[in-house]
Amino acid sequence: MKQETTAEMQKGREATEMIDEEVLERIIGKHAEKLGGLIATLEEIQRHCGYLPEEALRMVAAKTGSSLVDVYAVATFYSYFSLKPRGKHLITVCLGTACHVRGAARVVDEFERQLGIEPGETTPDKEFTLETVNCLGACALGPVVVVDGRYHSKVGKSKVKELIEGAISGDRADIDIDDGRIFPLDVNCPRCNRSLMDAKNEIDGYPSVRAIVAGARGHGLLRLSSLYGSRVTACEADILDGEETKMLCPHCHESLVVEQDCIECGAAMAAMMIKGGGKALVCSRRGCGGHMLDLG
Amino acid sequence: MARFNSTEELRQMRRILYDHTDHERPRVVVCAGTACHSSGSNDIIRVAKRHILENGLADKVSVRVTGCHGFCEMGPFILTEPQSAFYAQVKLGDVPRIIDALLAGQYVEELLYADSATGERYHRREDIPFFKNQKRSILSQNQKMDPIRIHDYIAQGGYEALEKALAFGQPEKVVEEVKMSGLRGRGGAGFPTGLKWEFLAARTGDEGKFLICNADEGDPGAYMDRSVLEGNPHSVIEGMIIGGYGTGASEGVVYVRNEYPLAIKNLTVALRQAREHGLLGENILGSGFSFDISIVKGAGAFVCGEETALIRSIEGKMGEPRQRPPFPIQRGVNGKPTVINNVETWANIPLVFLMGAKEYAKVGAENNSGTKIFSLVGKIRNTGLVEVPMGTTIKQIVYDIGGGSPGKARIKAVQTGGPSGGCIPADQFDLPVDYDSLSRAGSIMGSGGMIVMDENTCIVDVARYFMDFLKKESCGKCFTCRKGTQRMYELLDDIASGRGTLEHISLLEELALVVKDTTMCGLGQTASNPVLSSLRHFRREYERHVVDKKCDAFVCRGLVGAPCQSACPLDTQPWRYIALLEKGNLEEAYSVIRETNPLPSVCARVCDRKCEQRCQMGVGGGEPVAIRALKRFVTDRFDPAAHKPERKQIAKNKIGKVAVIGAGPAGLSAAHNLSLLGHKVAIFEAGRALGGMLTSCIPAYRLPRDILYREMNALIDDNVSVEFGKKLGKDLTIDNLFSKGHKAVFLAMGADKSQRLSLEGETLQGVYTSMEFLKAFNLRGEELAGGHVGIIGGGNSAVDAARVAMRQENVESVTLIYRRTDQEMPAYAEEVEAALEEGIQLKTLVSPVKIRYIDTAEKEGVKVHKGVTAVKIHSHGGRLVGIECVKNQSGEMDSSGRRKPVPVPGSEFKISLNTLIVAIGESPDSACLAEMGLKLDKSGRVEVDARTLATSREGVFAGGDLVTGPYTVVDALAAGKKAAKIIDRYLRGEEMIEPRAPMLPDVYIEPSEIDPSDFENAERAEPELIPAEARRKNFREVENALSLEQATAEARRCLRCDLEFTRGARKEAETEGAKDVHI
Repeated sequence: MKQETTAEMQKGREATEMIDEEVLERIIGKHAEKLGGLIATLEEIQRHCGYLPEEALRMVAAKTGSSLVDVYAVATFYSYFSLKPRGKHLITVCLGTACHVRGAARVVDEFERQLGIEPGETTPDKEFTLETVNCLGACALGPVVVVDGRYHSKVGKSKVKELIEGAISGDRADIDIDDGRIFPLDVNCPRCNRSLMDAKNEIDGYPSVRAIVAGARGHGLLRLSSLYGSRVTACEADILDGEETKMLCPHCHESLVVEQDCIECGAAMAAMMIKGGGKALVCSRRGCGGHMLDLG
Repeated sequence: MARFNSTEELRQMRRILYDHTDHERPRVVVCAGTACHSSGSNDIIRVAKRHILENGLADKVSVRVTGCHGFCEMGPFILTEPQSAFYAQVKLGDVPRIIDALLAGQYVEELLYADSATGERYHRREDIPFFKNQKRSILSQNQKMDPIRIHDYIAQGGYEALEKALAFGQPEKVVEEVKMSGLRGRGGAGFPTGLKWEFLAARTGDEGKFLICNADEGDPGAYMDRSVLEGNPHSVIEGMIIGGYGTGASEGVVYVRNEYPLAIKNLTVALRQAREHGLLGENILGSGFSFDISIVKGAGAFVCGEETALIRSIEGKMGEPRQRPPFPIQRGVNGKPTVINNVETWANIPLVFLMGAKEYAKVGAENNSGTKIFSLVGKIRNTGLVEVPMGTTIKQIVYDIGGGSPGKARIKAVQTGGPSGGCIPADQFDLPVDYDSLSRAGSIMGSGGMIVMDENTCIVDVARYFMDFLKKESCGKCFTCRKGTQRMYELLDDIASGRGTLEHISLLEELALVVKDTTMCGLGQTASNPVLSSLRHFRREYERHVVDKKCDAFVCRGLVGAPCQSACPLDTQPWRYIALLEKGNLEEAYSVIRETNPLPSVCARVCDRKCEQRCQMGVGGGEPVAIRALKRFVTDRFDPAAHKPERKQIAKNKIGKVAVIGAGPAGLSAAHNLSLLGHKVAIFEAGRALGGMLTSCIPAYRLPRDILYREMNALIDDNVSVEFGKKLGKDLTIDNLFSKGHKAVFLAMGADKSQRLSLEGETLQGVYTSMEFLKAFNLRGEELAGGHVGIIGGGNSAVDAARVAMRQENVESVTLIYRRTDQEMPAYAEEVEAALEEGIQLKTLVSPVKIRYIDTAEKEGVKVHKGVTAVKIHSHGGRLVGIECVKNQSGEMDSSGRRKPVPVPGSEFKISLNTLIVAIGESPDSACLAEMGLKLDKSGRVEVDARTLATSREGVFAGGDLVTGPYTVVDALAAGKKAAKIIDRYLRGEEMIEPRAPMLPDVYIEPSEIDPSDFENAERAEPELIPAEARRKNFREVENALSLEQATAEARRCLRCDLEFTRGARKEAETEGAKDVHI
């Protein structure tokens, strides 16, 4: 979850300056005629750009045939939307009642002091944006602060500095095999029961998992990291981003895809049997990264 | 995926799923809801899976990932099946042990959940008080399923309610069933759900009717809807399908807040799976009925919880409410008739059909059927989601389930219903929680937020918080709401910042009523509730803010200033003398201390340290600065006679003559301060020594007599005279004091009449009150205790008596007997500990039922049962030989927030004693005052105007224990000081009440450069005590002073809260035209 969120935001930030007309049309088309269409459109634009650029609002108005006033009204009515570019790191302090009675206001003050900005503002170096939110629904753990999509509970004044420094240094122990959270899997084809492991081609320092992928433009070998939790892949085939693929066993050429949908995107998933029991499932959609470890 | 074409196929699937499940199979259940996820439950799941795979346990044990179980503070946790063991706040390294123990049918005892109050560990989750006292009809389903697996839901009886509803054959019967269940909307207003459905069903001409699930849970502090939607989305979906069938609606919309990403994700998956299984879409289960549900995401606007605003938002517009009628039932989404219910209401629908309406209606209270989920948060021990039958009392929720206050602070109120709700004070906690009772009490159910507030929560601050929230969330359509909430916020901000007056409060109240009456939608009409209900129950707290400029919760910073100073009744400035000490400027530090306190060396030893309780170092779980020990370090170095504040020069004709009755701390402080103000004072003391309780009660090992007398004698100057042996009512009267030329009288005789147990036999030889006992020793050196000594009571004088007894020659053992638990003892914890160290035994939860009196002759060889006969022969006279006690258990909470001691029948037992000391409290010996025309209360305390200390007689003032009952030294000193100021104004003929201003730090002291690494590792400096063996049979001072190094290091731990005020003032002076800073 966490990694995806940050990845998504990163993607958004790179696109910040330019809003592609093609992308915009796709977004508008996706939500047209649907309930809540305008809000959903703006939400997706914001997810894409990190904020709502003026140019995008004008384009939405023009393409949907609404007046710019109406679009602007919606964009400024809801607290989720921001008309100003946001910083590299987003810090959100929950100001729900439970957090408030446990001293969240003092935490906001401390962020203000240390960052030199007020809620809703971004530091001049575009590193940090400070925001407050009415309630995140994690009331038992208040005061709650979300830094770059990651929740921190029971935050006191004294923890503020640590959070800011943590955001700068990334605060992500990405591949750390020693703490037990990330570990290698050994998988077989569920059809022919032959090993899918490729010891010659390592990824993340471990034998990779091998499968054949086929898309609209052709097919080729796909190698996945065998570390549960790592999303590193190497693909030889020419597959479009977001394309749902066919995944086949390199030995028996039977389909690995099963009747189970990815919880992230709804595409079909490919299943592999784990030595030791259970199955590992990966999303067949290029770039989705949805996966599951199903022990029954 | 298999699509069910009939209810039979669904049933068959359920049977297969059930038959293929090994119900006894060991399972590790881990919650991955938002709260647990943020506590790291995902890592727990990974480690569990890894352990299972690497050890080949996959065929022996399963992992189930679920939604929220409600006990969020304990996350991440592991629940095991079938054991039902609950491991709380699990660390990654513990996971393998827990799995191995489960497989071996064992428990990892030290990791099991332990009650933080009692330390008790539980093997079964069902026995944990938090869970045991709930009725979890909705929430209990979450633990049984992975929300992204529809088969888990079906196996648990999911969609069986839909089968039953379809089996009714006629939609109107479905509506009828819901009506009969008595289910009322869980979103707040409590409108009967069945009735709403009936209205919608009646609109037969319309095509494309809508059902909406309101999941915009905007109330800050409430999250039950999030938990249900995240953990059990299918229950909401099933409820809506049944609703669609009953009302003829064809389309459903779940309007969910964007702040709930996991709920959106799980719901999306659930909708997809339901559609694939033929449970949504065309021709559901082959019944011919079609219905589908879509998700619309909100974008953060509280007002969208209002139904007309919500509809606009669903249409993609600005969420402004509109006038009703037409109601949504007439014109809703896209102009179509629409029914809106919230998440919890929809989740209750399957339950109605599974149980049957009649059975469902039996749960809960009259007219309020079913259960309700509350989010119990704030200042409470067990935080989390709590589901109880409607009509459960607040007391049961807060104490039996919530476990009461997490710390020592007393709970004072709960706030229900979020920003539109109100607060219920602790003395009304017997109130049953249902729609009607809450609204009668001036609050509302709302969606079920229940925020607990204790003494450290400021009511004004909470009202300001809600108003700040509402002014931001007001959509602005109605002028009175837009501006009214803004103005109410400003008034509250003035009050909280020290700018408030009594007019602020009346204007606030008037404005609140206007806003309530003149706004269109629910937000505006209820926006005044936080103000009106807090004014209704806590007006006194508002008045403290505007009149006394005090925030007793220490929250409003503009009133509190430096907490240590604000906490001190004498307005001493600890931050200032500590900063001076740190710089080595001890002389000035002493002057700062002495400026406000006439007996600083005394306070440096026996003060109850209100300053330390409020020290910011101690607030975040750390240790407060050892302020008292630092004060002693300073005062030990100076002669009190040589350092005195300057006396004010006043005109001769303004000099008054004042009589002070009593030479205790209050009397001495008044006399000294009057002398400093230029007046002449005559002290009349009934006893033979200065000091009152300081000399007669407090033992020399706590307060050495040479230090005490040196400091008191320094206060007797040429303006002050003392006459000993003069008792009011016997040797003098108020009338003759006035006739002798005294212009005012200050009564400060204290409270030294001991209370009695009201048991027979209290006049026996060997039975003393603590006052008799302590006075005899401290003033005359008489040792009254001998043999086995028992002391009844738990306050400081009980502990003093116990420790003095221990030091007496003929004493063999000393036992303290107290009726509650030791945590509830009012004595200072450090004194109790010191006493235990010295060998004193403590029996708590024991209260004496009768003093067992037996004739010495009878005692020999005669066995006595239960003492009933002994009471009857009481009149024979003789000596005490023991007491009979009965054991108590902790009963229900009383209004003080402590559990009542309840005797356990049949648990009586005897204690043999030679001496019994009764130390259960003192009251003033004030009978003579009533004769002199003063008003007294029931306990004999003198009634005064709290602001002026004036009694019911002109020119007569009173303070100290005589007014408050037994209290602390520092409060008595403060009362004397206050009396002096007021009497001075009285003598000058001025207005006695002086408008108060907040006491904020006003002197800038440059902070020293401190290496942060020194600071982080520094621990609180504790003065050493001389070893227990060295002090047991003597009266040497027990506590040593700090060394220079210790004191300096300790002073460096101070956070210098004063700088926030003084640094700003200094900067402003330096830079011209500093811009206004708004909070």
